[in-house]
Amino acid sequence: MSRIELLQGTLDFIILQTLRWGPCHGYGIAQQIRASSNDTLQVDTGSLYPALHRLERKKWISADWEVSENRQRVRAYTITAAGRKQLAVERSKWELLSKAIAGVMQPPTTQAES
Amino acid sequence: MTFSGSRKRAQRDLDLDEEIRAHFDMAVRDRMARGESRAAAEAAARREFGNVGHVKEVTRDMWGGVWLERLRQDLSFAWRSLRRSPTFTIVAVLTLALGIGVNTAMFAVLNGVLLRPLPFPDPDRLLAASYKPEGMEYGVTPRMFDDHYVLFEKDTSIFEHVATYGARSLTLTGAGDPLSVSAARVTRQFFSVLGAHPQLGRAFEENDASGDDGTAVILSDALWHARFNANPSVIGTTVTLEGVSRTVVGVMPASFDYPAGTDMWQPWRVVANPKENVGLVPVIGRLKPGVSIEQARQMFAAFAPNLPVVEGPPRTGLVPELIPLKTVVIGDVRTPLLIFSGAIVFVLLIACANVANLLLMRVASRDREMALRAALGAGRRRLVRQLLTETLALTTVGAVAGVGVSWATLRMLLSLAPQNLLPRADGIRIDPWTLAFTGGLTILTAIVCGLIPALHASEHHLHASLGAGARTVTGGRQRLRSLLVGGEISLALVLLTGAGLLVRSFERMRSVDLGFDPRNALEVTVDLPQSRYATSAEMREFDARVVANLGAIPGVEAAGAINFLPLSKTSIAGSFTIEDGRKLPPGYIVGALSVSPDYFRAMGMHIERGRAFTADDRTNGARVVILSHSVAEKFWPGGKAIGKRISSSDNPTAADWVTIVGVVNDVVQGAVTSNPGRSAYSPIAQTDPPFFLRHVTFVVRSRDESARTALTPIEVAAARVLREADPNLAVQTATPIPELIDRTTATPRFQSRMLLTFSLTALALAMIGVYGVLSYNFAQRQQEIGVRIALGATPGEIARMVLRRTMVLVIPGIVVGLGASFALTRVLGRFLFQIKATDPVTFASVVVVLAVVALAAAALPARRASRVDPTILTRAAG
Repeated sequence: MSRIELLQGTLDFIILQTLRWGPCHGYGIAQQIRASSNDTLQVDTGSLYPALHRLERKKWISADWEVSENRQRVRAYTITAAGRKQLAVERSKWELLSKAIAGVMQPPTTQAES
Repeated sequence: MTFSGSRKRAQRDLDLDEEIRAHFDMAVRDRMARGESRAAAEAAARREFGNVGHVKEVTRDMWGGVWLERLRQDLSFAWRSLRRSPTFTIVAVLTLALGIGVNTAMFAVLNGVLLRPLPFPDPDRLLAASYKPEGMEYGVTPRMFDDHYVLFEKDTSIFEHVATYGARSLTLTGAGDPLSVSAARVTRQFFSVLGAHPQLGRAFEENDASGDDGTAVILSDALWHARFNANPSVIGTTVTLEGVSRTVVGVMPASFDYPAGTDMWQPWRVVANPKENVGLVPVIGRLKPGVSIEQARQMFAAFAPNLPVVEGPPRTGLVPELIPLKTVVIGDVRTPLLIFSGAIVFVLLIACANVANLLLMRVASRDREMALRAALGAGRRRLVRQLLTETLALTTVGAVAGVGVSWATLRMLLSLAPQNLLPRADGIRIDPWTLAFTGGLTILTAIVCGLIPALHASEHHLHASLGAGARTVTGGRQRLRSLLVGGEISLALVLLTGAGLLVRSFERMRSVDLGFDPRNALEVTVDLPQSRYATSAEMREFDARVVANLGAIPGVEAAGAINFLPLSKTSIAGSFTIEDGRKLPPGYIVGALSVSPDYFRAMGMHIERGRAFTADDRTNGARVVILSHSVAEKFWPGGKAIGKRISSSDNPTAADWVTIVGVVNDVVQGAVTSNPGRSAYSPIAQTDPPFFLRHVTFVVRSRDESARTALTPIEVAAARVLREADPNLAVQTATPIPELIDRTTATPRFQSRMLLTFSLTALALAMIGVYGVLSYNFAQRQQEIGVRIALGATPGEIARMVLRRTMVLVIPGIVVGLGASFALTRVLGRFLFQIKATDPVTFASVVVVLAVVALAAAALPARRASRVDPTILTRAAG
């Protein structure tokens, strides 16, 4: 299994993307990222929590204490309106970038196949 | 940080803990749900999670305002850590206090004397102007010929106003005891140029000055307070200066002191006499608005060729110069001050090297702590920052103590410094600028001392020295420490060499054969004002009466009088004509001195040939002269001068010839460092121009050969004789002549003592460094030494080993230091007397001193090394 370290900006983007589906705590976010990338993206806690607190400080996400199904207090993060706006920006940037990279990596003739 | 702020942060910390614990619990539960045992799940979750401390640390970084929190943590940690090792802390703080303290004091001096702007409005627009004849020296203050000044004063293209001034010493009577005051004659625009206004009364007006002198005077604030009770009604009253009444028209504020030390100002109008204008005056001016200094220079240079040449010394090649007034006011102390500053920076560098060494030593013993903190999640930058904070805490405490040191240093400096050594000394104080400097210096010192140890310390934590033995040999660190000590030795050597040169130069000065015997002699100097002593006859009568009364004081062996005593600042010199028609070499001049008959005996000089003057050499008698040895030998070698005739006139008539009746030994007439003077002595009784008699010094030699204290009753009696002779004279106190010599050599003595103090401080600090490195070195090598002793090494062999180690440490430092001294002590060249800046004796002695002191510093560690108990091996193995 090859794992990829995420760059800081990318991690922010992925966290926002993950939170689009609803509030979630740090552990859940890590698990979701892992699952939705088929275990390719492994988020290190040393990157995850700084990122969460950084996004909170930028007011792109907000945090609240909730009680989980196991009756454990957990800190759940919710994406804010500003966060959604940022996510849209990031996503269009990302689409542009991935198209550009795909174009560079693949010869134009085979582009149709992908 | 406020209380509520820190409470909020504490809550956030708790929250973060809980968040992470929840993460961990959930991970464990998930794993257990997948069938793992609790223990296995916990272990795996922990592994997966990574370093909890580190995660918390980097997460907290995101909170903002974190550096303040960090600083607080680091500081409290630093405080605890420093308290744990009080010896280290005390040594380091004292070293830093010394280094920072003397540097702060030096900065206060530099700031007060060199940097502070002049206390006048727009001081940058003030310039001193001079047309200096090529090749001529005028000392510190630039000047121009007075007829040039008169022309220049009318020119308004460059300066708004120009002014000139001249200070002299006058006697003030009618306001308490007669007082010798420094009176400055100043031209009409003087106060406008400097932008100064009287605090009381008015400045001078056009008709205050009539020719040479006017009747108005302006008082200084100090004189107004001292002699007029600061009474505002002094305006309009009259004072008596040199016996002439003057009207007080104003009082200047205390802040105005130009030229420095002036007690009162008098109006003056420079009048050029086209026949004999050879006077030189200092010229100051305020630039016209809109004229740049560069433009002014060009215009000033263009003005030069139009200047007339009148009689007097040749005036070809006038060099136009415009110099910032501040440069003139600071004068020639700039270079010595900068040299001393350099020396003091050396002391700080040595102190820094010592503290860095101590820190390195400490770091070595804290390897495990560092490794532990790294393991607990502190990043390298955090460790470096922690160590730097600790150093900063150390230097800050050192700096606070250093301000105390600087205060004491300044007090000592200002009380030991010879009077008038430093211009603008009143501005030397520990002010906000100085404290700001200290603050900056503190941070810089912390970085210089702390960075290398901090980088070293944090580097090592990676090679986890947590292992049990952990006696890592840190060879790099040892080399670094030796390098630091080597540097200290080099710096100390440079300072010692400089101090050695100055001390030897000073000794040369003091061992100069002055040609007279200063022991048991004292002098009293007075100026005879024209108002009371109009004719030469009156002054001659006064001199004779005082000499007779002085001679009658019990215990006095001889009393005499001379117009210009050796070592005094002023003198008169001239050429003479020889009767047989031989011409004097060009520029050959001799001191023209007038003495009473017993002067030579009172000064302890000896008549080599012929006779001294006697009471028979009367005003109307045959005119006689006594030459000093070098003059007589130059023109009549082999002692054939007696009976020959010379004249002070260029075209002598029959009455102008005087007969040489004696030859007296040469004396040093000017400063101690000047060449023994060529002099011609005339009897006061036969001296006619009043100018030669206005200034007179009486010399009294005590019969008692014992200590200087025996002079005291004679001092009192001598002063009384003068007071009785004329109660209206401003009598300076009687001064023992040795004290006069001390005074004239005060500046070099002060300089050599200061540099010696600095260099001994530097030496002591460097030796602490040597001691530290060697003790540490041998402490680390205890085992090795134990093995050697167990294998039969004698104490002698161990001692040789120690010696070798010491020399390896010291010799490179000495070699580098010698090179540096060779390059740097040249800056002292100008201050050395009869000693070259590369004097081999000084260099050699300094090296010997340093080597001996280094060996002494090595003695204790060496003794400890040779007494290592071989059983240490068993202990180490266990």
